[in-house]
Amino acid sequence: MCKSHSSKEYDIYLQSYFQDNMDEDSRKPHRLRHSGPKADKKKAKNKHEQELTPQQRNPKAFAFHSVNKVAKSVKRTLDIHTKKTHIPEVDRTPVEPPPVVVAVVGPPKVGKTTLLSCLIKNFTKQKLTSVQGPVTIVSGKKRRLTFLECNNDVNSMIDVAKVADLVLLLIDASFGFEMETFEFLNICQVHGFPKIMGVLTHLDMFRNTKKLRKTKKRLKHRFWTEIYQGAKLFYLSGMVNGEYQKTEVHNLGRFISVMKFRPLHWRTTHPYLLADRMEDLTDPELIRQNAKCDRTVCLYGYVRGTHFKSNCNVHLPGAGDFSVKDISFLPDPCPLPERENRRSLNESERLIYAPMSGVGGIVYDKDAVYIDLGGSHSHTQQAVEEDAPINELVATMKNPMKTLEDKMATSELTLFKNAAPLTEADIHRMNLSGQQEEKTVADAVNGRDRRKAVFGENTDDEEDKDDDDDDEEDEDSDDEVGGDDEDTDGDEEQDETEEDFSKPGALKTEMFTRSAKKRKMDGEGENLAFADSDDDLEENFQLFTPVAEKKNTPRKQSNINSSSSSRGRGGGQHMDVEINYKADSETDSEMESTEIDDGVVEKKRKKRTKVSEQEQVTHRKGSREEKYGGLNDRIDEKQDSSDNECGEHVGNGAEDGSEEDEDDVEYQEKEDYDAREDNLNEESGLLRWKENIAEKASQSFLKNKQTNWRKIVYGHESEDYDGESEEEGEVGGLFKISKKKKDQRKGIDGFDCSRDATGQNQEWNIQELLESIQDCFVTGKWDKSEDAKALLDQDDDLYGAFEDLETGEVMEDHQQEDEEEEEDAEDGGGGEDKDVEKPKMKRDMTKEERKQKALDKRAEKKRKLKAMFDAEYDASGGGGEESFYDEWRSEMEQQAQLNRAEFENLDEDLRVQYEGFRPGLYVRVQLDNMPCEFIDHFDPTYPVILGALLSAEDTIGYVNLRVKKHRWHKKILKTKDPLIISLGWRRFQTIPLYSIQDHNMRQRLLKYTPEHMHCTASIWGPITPQGTGFLAVQTVAGTPDFRIAATGVVLELDKSVTVVKKLKLTGTPYKIYKKTAFIKGMFNSELEVSKFEGASIRAVSGIRGQIKKPVRTPEGAFRATFEDKLLLSDIVFVRTWYRVEVPKFYNPLTTLLFPLQQRSQWEGMKTLGQLKREKGIKAEANPDSSYKSIERKGRSFHPLVIPKHLQRDLPFKDKPKVATRQKDPVQAQRVAVVREPKERKVAELMKMLKTLHEHKMKQRRSQMRERAQQHEKDKRKIEMKRTEKQKVVKKQIYRVLGQIEKKKKRHEKE
Amino acid sequence: LTSMASNMRSFEGSNFFRQRLILATLSGKAVKIKKIRSKDDDPGIRDFEASFIRLLDKLTNGSRIEVNETGTSMFYQPGLLPGGSIEHDCSLQRAIGYYLEALVCLAPFSKTPIHAVLRGITNDQIDPSVDQIKLSTFPILKKFLGTDEGLELKIIKRGAAPEGGGEVIFKCPTRQKLRPVQFTDPGKVKRIRGVAWATRVSPAVTNRMVDSVRSVLNQCLADIYIYTDHQKGSQSGKSPGFGLTLVAETTNGAFLTAELASNVKGSEAGPTVPEDLGKDAAKHLLKEIHRGGCVDSSSQSLAVLLMCLGQQDVSKILTGPLTPYTIQFLRHIKDFFGVTFKIETKSNKGTDDNEEDLNTGGDKLVLTCVGVGYTNLSKVIL
Repeated sequence: MCKSHSSKEYDIYLQSYFQDNMDEDSRKPHRLRHSGPKADKKKAKNKHEQELTPQQRNPKAFAFHSVNKVAKSVKRTLDIHTKKTHIPEVDRTPVEPPPVVVAVVGPPKVGKTTLLSCLIKNFTKQKLTSVQGPVTIVSGKKRRLTFLECNNDVNSMIDVAKVADLVLLLIDASFGFEMETFEFLNICQVHGFPKIMGVLTHLDMFRNTKKLRKTKKRLKHRFWTEIYQGAKLFYLSGMVNGEYQKTEVHNLGRFISVMKFRPLHWRTTHPYLLADRMEDLTDPELIRQNAKCDRTVCLYGYVRGTHFKSNCNVHLPGAGDFSVKDISFLPDPCPLPERENRRSLNESERLIYAPMSGVGGIVYDKDAVYIDLGGSHSHTQQAVEEDAPINELVATMKNPMKTLEDKMATSELTLFKNAAPLTEADIHRMNLSGQQEEKTVADAVNGRDRRKAVFGENTDDEEDKDDDDDDEEDEDSDDEVGGDDEDTDGDEEQDETEEDFSKPGALKTEMFTRSAKKRKMDGEGENLAFADSDDDLEENFQLFTPVAEKKNTPRKQSNINSSSSSRGRGGGQHMDVEINYKADSETDSEMESTEIDDGVVEKKRKKRTKVSEQEQVTHRKGSREEKYGGLNDRIDEKQDSSDNECGEHVGNGAEDGSEEDEDDVEYQEKEDYDAREDNLNEESGLLRWKENIAEKASQSFLKNKQTNWRKIVYGHESEDYDGESEEEGEVGGLFKISKKKKDQRKGIDGFDCSRDATGQNQEWNIQELLESIQDCFVTGKWDKSEDAKALLDQDDDLYGAFEDLETGEVMEDHQQEDEEEEEDAEDGGGGEDKDVEKPKMKRDMTKEERKQKALDKRAEKKRKLKAMFDAEYDASGGGGEESFYDEWRSEMEQQAQLNRAEFENLDEDLRVQYEGFRPGLYVRVQLDNMPCEFIDHFDPTYPVILGALLSAEDTIGYVNLRVKKHRWHKKILKTKDPLIISLGWRRFQTIPLYSIQDHNMRQRLLKYTPEHMHCTASIWGPITPQGTGFLAVQTVAGTPDFRIAATGVVLELDKSVTVVKKLKLTGTPYKIYKKTAFIKGMFNSELEVSKFEGASIRAVSGIRGQIKKPVRTPEGAFRATFEDKLLLSDIVFVRTWYRVEVPKFYNPLTTLLFPLQQRSQWEGMKTLGQLKREKGIKAEANPDSSYKSIERKGRSFHPLVIPKHLQRDLPFKDKPKVATRQKDPVQAQRVAVVREPKERKVAELMKMLKTLHEHKMKQRRSQMRERAQQHEKDKRKIEMKRTEKQKVVKKQIYRVLGQIEKKKKRHEKE
Repeated sequence: LTSMASNMRSFEGSNFFRQRLILATLSGKAVKIKKIRSKDDDPGIRDFEASFIRLLDKLTNGSRIEVNETGTSMFYQPGLLPGGSIEHDCSLQRAIGYYLEALVCLAPFSKTPIHAVLRGITNDQIDPSVDQIKLSTFPILKKFLGTDEGLELKIIKRGAAPEGGGEVIFKCPTRQKLRPVQFTDPGKVKRIRGVAWATRVSPAVTNRMVDSVRSVLNQCLADIYIYTDHQKGSQSGKSPGFGLTLVAETTNGAFLTAELASNVKGSEAGPTVPEDLGKDAAKHLLKEIHRGGCVDSSSQSLAVLLMCLGQQDVSKILTGPLTPYTIQFLRHIKDFFGVTFKIETKSNKGTDDNEEDLNTGGDKLVLTCVGVGYTNLSKVIL
């Protein structure tokens, strides 16, 4: 207010003001202290507290006053509530998620690289000289980030938008928004809209703070309209020494590292990889021979999205479709720190991994790859694991999974290129057991060398798989495969080790436990394979062989085991450097292991601390053996896999050896134990032989019972699980193989039927069968948790005494006593002494105490019940109304938990098999047949993405899209003009047909896209799930205009198109009856017409009709009826729809394969307009359409003729005054003669006389003519008569003359 | 070629013909089958397979099917499934069940709901009858679809084995996605139902069958009701025959079925005695209960397929021992979809030693898998 006043005036004003308020000041009221010591004192004095709520004190104030108001407010709250609810989805985020992809995007010269390096420096305290490709860092205890800079090519902008979780959108504030910014935002919108954070740079260019503030505000609001109100916009105020200010970058980093993300649909359904490392594995020799040969390429990266299946096809945006040759997971190069209760990361945990920038040990140059060897010490290790970068190496060394000895046992050496790798065990075998060698040879003769070949050919993965199989078996056969020692042992051993870990007294470092665990797993796996087949054999063997022989068998076994194990596990990962040493150690261990009777198993058991437990276990095992022993031979027969597995049994001799050392102390104990075990085995074996005969029949029905299903299903393909295989076991030897082959052949052409024929022909006694399943019926026994009686008892437990209201009888709480006992038992802790003490304690308790206790217990029960009810009530949102949504949500929650828990404890290899490679794993993907340009023109600044394709997504078909031209794109789009589309993972050029749906669901072709409306586009392109968004650009080359031409969504996929185009056929009538007309010229043949019979036709004049029937001639003419009579000049047409073919043009953009300069300049198929413009072709004008000057003839009109009777009636003034013009000009000049009446009369009379005369003359003339005619007639008659007379006369004369002549002649003759 | 990456699967032999074509259709991968009965006296595909191919042709749009001259090898490039109404005369070599089993696998993934009319043999001794499919497969399908609204199998005419003359109408709704299913507790059998059918034989036959079934099954359960279905006139097909389909329903909604049909007229085995058939069918049902699980042996393969085609969530199902057909199905699923099932044996013996064992038949298997996230690509969304 003071601004307008001068300073003097202002002073005066103030003075007057103070004077006015002077007297008020003196009456200033007392202000109570609300805080501070004084207030506290007062509060302490006045202890009264209001116990009533305002509602209770003043209920009227809170009552409804207006129903409408309340209804409105209730509606509003409900509305808000409903808006918040989303369709629940299963949360599939993994426990250890992959790094968050943070993309730095912006137009050129905006400060992307600077920001990126600042951020990296902020997180890792390292400064990267040049950032190329993705940089992965650990930003916190639970989060890793992958930074990615997006260059200014539309291609990479599109690709980056598909993988980025968070986008830092850089905006040059001094310039404002640029096209690229909006283009990128639109790209993001289409591909799922990741989180976007704007960053304003170049704010130091503003000198004027006010202008700065205004610009900020303006930009912020524009940004908000584009994303959402309140979207985060960050300001980087200025540069210090070429870097952004530290605090600001730090704040930005904080924002990034706490940001939460919404799952995006496409990404949660498609696994993908952002490759952060690339290697060319092609044989250099091949490249030397042909520089353009196809390459084998390895791409590395974190799996993102969802589980990556090993056999899926992938699309590399910018390169094309490939099928994954091989995929395997590697140790995480940039792992999260171990769980510790520290708040921040220490220096060593701030890892950075960016191989493309040269941080991970590898530098990509234009024509070479440099590997950072990390000093002279690391050199040897580098040689061993060449393809692993230093960080990985360090990581693996930091937490080794196996002990050194272990590794050595598994390592191997390849002497010749194609030979099977040699392991220490092999050497050992060569040295020690010639007998063993013979066996393998014999095997080879039998045709079992296949096994060995498999191992030789197998890659590490397959071997891993084998191992997994074994592990899995272990899990499967937990208790039920009781028949074999090793198996159960393995399990128990596992339990026991777990116990060990849980015990605080177990003096093991974490590292050790890890390695032990791993070793244990291996061991188990091996054991299991063993158990599966060979052991069964063994067992059977034991049944029939004398005890003395039995002693030998385990030793042999362990021999086999050790040799095969090392062979099996080799894998080529480890290089054997010190074979000799290892061989030595191996022999040692071997010796030791052979000494022990049941080596493998017993040694593990020895770890146990409690002997009693051990005994218990063996007892149980023994009994189980008794029970099921008889089955073993059957299983064995059935599994034809047994012979295959023979070579596979992977024992663990080596481990035995190592363990032996540890457990030397307990050696004695163990031996004792072994002896006992042996006895037990003998006894049980004998018992089994006799006892189980009775059970056999019943067990035979369950012949599948103890089979290893995993092996049957996913084992070797050749193993056909058939009834026939039973017989095989009995024959054995050579016959087996031939028979199997026969089976196989039969198998491939077997009878295709879903019904299980194997169980049908089994004979089975109904009574026994009924007995075995009696508890399958509701009438049978129930499980304790389900049994009604047990549950009722439990209820009694819970609710205690009650009064029967009908009888008035009070039921005593009879359970109480028992409960007390139970409780005592819990308190008592000790086993047997507790029983002794109990009665005594009871007596000691006074009656009151007991009563008090009972009361307490009841109160406790009540409290629990109430808590349960509360929990339920809260969960359902206070009433039943929301229960549907809540139920749904909890269902999803449960599913998510199950998803996480199901495979959590499995071995990693096995888990990968079941789930695929889960997100967060670091994997190496090998691709074959990559074009050489991918390597030649590789540029790390372009993102390499491996997007997996789900089933059927790698096929091509017709795709219907809902499309809308982008409102900022300047031109409308023309049908059949090529368009570059980004859909799913792909970018491709295709030719769309635009159409719109008519009311009768017809897809009518459009020539151009509507200006502001959606239409349908049909393209020939990759099949992509419905609902996937896409965007289209006309060119990727940089243009000043907005490049995004259209956006939309996939509607429908099909293998045929239904787009139609209007086609009018015209004809003309050539004969017209009343309402029927014959029309020609519309069709060419009778057949054509008959196809259109009944079609409605229309004349140009609007008369509608129908085609009736073809006529013979002219060809193609037909009869038609109309609603009115046609004119001959009418044109008749029929409206038809002609199906339009979508051009089968699909051209994926292979930008990654181009040289760098060409990438952003790529131009595919050109539009027709472009081509014409370039070639200077003008469209040929239709001569009909060209303008012609119109010549109009002057028209001559007929004179107006007024009919006479009309003229007569007209009044004079309206009568035509114009005299009739005379034809003869001479006459016209004559003067009209007007006669006197007398003259007129005379003239009249004269005229009459004349007429009479004329008439008389006329008559006379006609009479005269008649007379003349009569006369003529008479004359003719007379004439005729005369001539007739003359004829007769002449005749006579001639006759006479003739006679005379004759006479003459006769005379002469005479 | 419509496929961009190398995608073809090749197989040998005629066995598991349907599985391969079904999975190829669902996964969109081409299939080449070679050496179909190449060593056989009568080489090449048989009539019923040819009929199956024709059915597939009707079901799909844009597929390419090539069979060589001798019929010993075929190539199949699948298209999409338009659905709609289909009529098919099935070959008389196999029952309608042979075709229906495949149709059930494909139907939920078509563009519009399928309305199929199939003609041929409704009941025979080889394939699951239409009754069995209705009683055993439909409950499973319902689990995965969510509801059984629009799911229908109507037997218009019944046709026994050699001559056929039966007609059924099959309707199935479509789904965009399937639900993951966890079904590992079948509960206990609470009732037994069944259908005793007879065509062109005395109506008394059905009653005789029912009596003999009751004589066996009454020992374990009282709640038994077997419907008699004696068809007459044009609805009874062209051949005489009779049979029995039994289903045991459990408290948790699992259905275990078993069935038997009489010998074909004029077969070497001679005529079947209804009482024997009833008894045998009852025995089969008991065996099926002995196998147990939440899915009976005839629908195992469908359950496995639908589990695999679910969302990327864990599905779990308890089954009895796997049938050879299912085993091969699992292998093929691995081949086509890359899904490996976790197969655990669940012993029927009590876990604790102190608890007494329940006699609940043989060991059960828990099949667990993560779905591939399959979506129905044919269905239109607007």
